[in-house]
Amino acid sequence: MNLREEFVEKLADLEESKVIELTKRRIESKENPFAILEDIRKATNIIGKRFEEGRYFVSDLIMAGEILKQVMEILKPLLGEKKAESKGKVVIGSVEGDVHDIGKNIVIALLEAEGFEVVDLGVDQPPKTFVEAIKQHKPQVVGLSGLLTEAIESMKKTIDEIKEAGLRNKVKIIVGGGRTSEEVKQYTGADDWADDAAIGVKKIKALVGVS
Amino acid sequence: MKAEDIRMEKLRRIEDVIKGKEPDRVPVMGATAVWHGSYAGYTTHEVLFDYAKCKDAWLKVARDFDFDTFTVIAGLEGMIYTIALLEQPEMSSAARFILGSTHLALGDVYSRWPGYELDKNAHPQFIGKEIMKANEYDQLIENPLEFINKVAMPRINKKLCNPGSAEYNAALAKYGAELAKFGAFMADVSMELAKIGYPTVPMAWGYAPLDLIGDFLRDIKNVVMDLYRIGDKVKQAVEAVKPLILRAASCSAPPKEIRKPVFGTEIVECFFPLHLNEYLNPKLYNEFYWPALNEIFKEVVNMGLTPFVLFEGRHDAHLETLLEAPKGKVVGVFEKTDPRKVREVLGNHVILVSGPTNSLLIGGTPQKVEEFMKKLLEDCKEGGMMIWPGVDGGLSRDAKPENVKAMLSAVKKYGKY
Repeated sequence: MNLREEFVEKLADLEESKVIELTKRRIESKENPFAILEDIRKATNIIGKRFEEGRYFVSDLIMAGEILKQVMEILKPLLGEKKAESKGKVVIGSVEGDVHDIGKNIVIALLEAEGFEVVDLGVDQPPKTFVEAIKQHKPQVVGLSGLLTEAIESMKKTIDEIKEAGLRNKVKIIVGGGRTSEEVKQYTGADDWADDAAIGVKKIKALVGVS
Repeated sequence: MKAEDIRMEKLRRIEDVIKGKEPDRVPVMGATAVWHGSYAGYTTHEVLFDYAKCKDAWLKVARDFDFDTFTVIAGLEGMIYTIALLEQPEMSSAARFILGSTHLALGDVYSRWPGYELDKNAHPQFIGKEIMKANEYDQLIENPLEFINKVAMPRINKKLCNPGSAEYNAALAKYGAELAKFGAFMADVSMELAKIGYPTVPMAWGYAPLDLIGDFLRDIKNVVMDLYRIGDKVKQAVEAVKPLILRAASCSAPPKEIRKPVFGTEIVECFFPLHLNEYLNPKLYNEFYWPALNEIFKEVVNMGLTPFVLFEGRHDAHLETLLEAPKGKVVGVFEKTDPRKVREVLGNHVILVSGPTNSLLIGGTPQKVEEFMKKLLEDCKEGGMMIWPGVDGGLSRDAKPENVKAMLSAVKKYGKY
């Protein structure tokens, strides 16, 4: 197995210290950082697949997010101003009245590793923040996150205001969180829903039209 | 029928199911934090901070809807306080939840409340915080009760950060007074409920050891990473806090001799809300979570208590482990695991509790609710079960009253034996 293959395998297997060591070795050998980035995407894909197959759980995604964060921190100064080609832009935030963010943050870590540009609005954000962010950032997808059952009404209100601002046909909207469902999708008027992070990322990719 | 007869009839229904028998019909246990408020026209801030309004709304729901029990859980997870106060049993039991008033008295860093950190109509939220550093596990393991009191409590509560100060002493006095007020309020509502035919099933407090560490000491994300990085330490910590949880369960249960005369039943439900169950893969679950939890289940059953367990999220991957729990002694509320699957895997090994989700009660129609309930009861009621409406966390603020009514009529129609 060569170094690149080993890196992908260890990252997909969530072997934290090994991945950090391999990252440093690759950088020391003056490898193109974009090649490392490409391998990160490969590994993230494998992690997502393992989750879908029921082999990985939320704990594994949390660990994956943590390892990805560390690798990206090492890599960022080397990438400089040049950016990898973006797969798309996503605006994401926890809706008004909900201050939970574990799920949202896992989604962001996975999306960034996959090569998406993500604008994180934070938690407890009123509808107008989402409306303004759509105008400013022109994302393809907006993610409304929330854990509470009370977030469902906030998601509906947010989508209603996006409609009123005349922006509904400019973006795809996904609602996400442990208590979302097909019922919630229909009730809020979203395009899709996800009650776990890896499925959320898969559905966002589908909404953007990339695989 | 007289109120007292109605109360006993409702109580029998629940007792029968817990004893493994089919009652006259499936019982419905209503529970909420704030739905009673929105039904009665109050903000969530009002029902969480004003006991008169909370009582008014609570009794209004009890009168207008025919649940078998209706409980308002007016607080957020606070088991760490019950543990910290173990040397003072009466206080310890009352300290189980973080209340709006105790949040103000102590200034805990875990929670956010409507009218203070959140909008006045928002749901209160437990966010948690890293209280203990990864390198402090040894101290916790060495003497957990002392660590929780001396190291953790001043970090958890902003007003207790300077032991011996005027602010510290005042905060503790205020906290004690608020707990006493809460205890008196609960006893008062319980008596008023009895007058209109509602029983109160007594509760004791349990917890999964790993959840205690994750929720209150390390924070969820950190404890998950600890499992990968320093698993041995976590395992020792789980063993160290386990006896404290057993003590808490034992001293929070009402004494045997008063159960029947005061509550009309010998049954005491020992409440276990599980949090990390859905997070963990089977390997981690079977190594760090389940063995200690199941030991606690067994001990609690030996104490004559009935574990009443909320299996939050999706418990599918861990269902089979429940076959190791005491047969027919554990009540399980399954949030996202299909109750048919629970029956298929566990049969009557666990006493099944299920119900409509809040998304159905919020976004559905009475007709859809009826269809859902008909199918659920037809598929699952054999052998006894209970309904917990808003199975994902209790009735949501926005659950539509007409949908809750439809759920109750469906139980009367399709839940008879």
